[in-house]
Amino acid sequence: MEGVYTVSNGASQFGDQAVLKWTYLFTGTDTTHYLSIFTGTDATYFNLEGTPEADSLVLKGYWRKLVNASIGEVRLILREKHNGKLQLFKGSLAPGDTLVVDGLYGDKSAALNNQLTLTYNRPLNPKPFSIMAHRSGGRTSDLLPASENSVEIIKLASRLGATGIEVDVRFTKDGVPVLYHDNTLNLRLIQKNGLTGPLEDYTYQQLSTLVRLINGEKIPTLEEALETVVNNTSLNFVWLDTKYIGPMDKVQAIQQKYRQKALLAGRNLRIIIGLPTTEAVDSYKALANKDNTPILCELDTSITRSLDARIWAPRWTLGPQTDEVLAMQAEGLTVFVWTLDEPEFIREFISQNHFDGILSNYSPVVAYYHYIEQQ
Amino acid sequence: MNIRLQTIVWLVCLFISSLTVMAQQPRVRRQQRPLPTLTDTTRGPYTLVVSAGGGLSYYSTHLGVPATLEQTHVSRFGVPSSLRVMWYPDHRLRMGLETGWTTMYSYKGQVAGDNAHVYVSAIPILLVFSMPLAWLRGTDRSLVRRLAITAGTGMYVNHSRLDYAGTVFSNTNSLGWMAAASYTYPIGRKIRLAGELKWFDAVAAENAAFTAEIQFVWRAFSW
Repeated sequence: MEGVYTVSNGASQFGDQAVLKWTYLFTGTDTTHYLSIFTGTDATYFNLEGTPEADSLVLKGYWRKLVNASIGEVRLILREKHNGKLQLFKGSLAPGDTLVVDGLYGDKSAALNNQLTLTYNRPLNPKPFSIMAHRSGGRTSDLLPASENSVEIIKLASRLGATGIEVDVRFTKDGVPVLYHDNTLNLRLIQKNGLTGPLEDYTYQQLSTLVRLINGEKIPTLEEALETVVNNTSLNFVWLDTKYIGPMDKVQAIQQKYRQKALLAGRNLRIIIGLPTTEAVDSYKALANKDNTPILCELDTSITRSLDARIWAPRWTLGPQTDEVLAMQAEGLTVFVWTLDEPEFIREFISQNHFDGILSNYSPVVAYYHYIEQQ
Repeated sequence: MNIRLQTIVWLVCLFISSLTVMAQQPRVRRQQRPLPTLTDTTRGPYTLVVSAGGGLSYYSTHLGVPATLEQTHVSRFGVPSSLRVMWYPDHRLRMGLETGWTTMYSYKGQVAGDNAHVYVSAIPILLVFSMPLAWLRGTDRSLVRRLAITAGTGMYVNHSRLDYAGTVFSNTNSLGWMAAASYTYPIGRKIRLAGELKWFDAVAAENAAFTAEIQFVWRAFSW
């Protein structure tokens, strides 16, 4: 069912092409299947859950445009076009049959009265590519249903198209590594409670008791976040962005602990420590033992080589840097680019086919342009 | 402490020099003052006016109390103080600087038997403009000459203190504004008493308070 679909009814709202992709969420021994749809218009994503009804598969959920506040409900049914005639999908396709997903969508709180028809066109681009969601899934300012750097958005990241996440690591006053992006507690990220100033001024007990992220979640510890990645998601990459200044040994120990947990769970999960500054490089150099500590360097190529990093991640505003990218890849390095949110540049960077992955706040856009790309 | 002492010494010197200048000026009876003429190009007088006061504040916007707290008690009231230095030129619009200290709100409650207390206050540092409702019209007893509106903009230093599992003091800066209306009553040649209703709004921190203050207004220096 995964593939690139042609949008007929609904093209004016969502564009003329859509990418359909299944994702999974594990809860204990249960697995919940979600169908995501990514379109090329206004960073749209659909979050749908499949429910068998009578003898058909019904997909219910919502659609959302990240560039504005547009949102609505959706109800779709899986069908097949057999001998030019539309009928319910029976579970397998005969040669010449085509999958059609159609149904209705609403706008904001309006009833579902707009027709949406998606017709299978071709398979997804199979080329391996890392689609990494910034701030564990996306920004709070994009009005996502979960706050940035929360356990809840980590669970949502795959449905937003991500194959990996970048998380922002800071330390509380009593030395607990937690996820938080900004330098201070502020109303952009937390619910109003009167507390201000650097997160590092507060103990973990104070934060976990009194501070809630915008959508009501706790500020998670790094361990809670990685536990979620390992136990609940199919994400295959975690980029630990170093937002702290100081010793890195605690983060290294946690990175190694969860790498082992992932291996024991049969997961091919890469957990990488990101080095965005010279201070972070110094902290890495100060580690007593650097074995099994994969790093990603955001600084220039010479520093990246000197550290023997396996991943180089330059800032996207430096341009495609084709020669440097190809040289690093020739030396066996992986090259990512960050933090790219402009749809036209995302399309361009993907079509140039040089980078191994893109870090973005708009992972649905990266997913769309990657999966529709024809080799 | 040294800064406070220097400020007091500076204000006392200013007051003494003002008295000296005043003593050296010839006394002119009101009816003997020359009438202004259209050809008169002299400017002034200019006056430096210092206001200081205090009163009661009420936190006037939404506040957030963590849902984890039990037996919560919220206080929106506080006792603000303010200090303003204004330049009164020979025209209607006056300008100056204002600072002070204003309680925003506080709350307390319990978490698993432990007490938690949060206190939020702000120090405004504002460029303010003020204008009497009338200027040349009427007499000193005229109501409209005693009423003034004031508005300002600048920065608020928002301060929070947390007492729970330790004490944390933190500050964050926020852009903001204020608006006020005042009535000034003369009680001496250089001293006036004013009542002012004021709205403080630290926009970025979403802190806002309505205050009612009594202020002493001292016309410190004229030239």
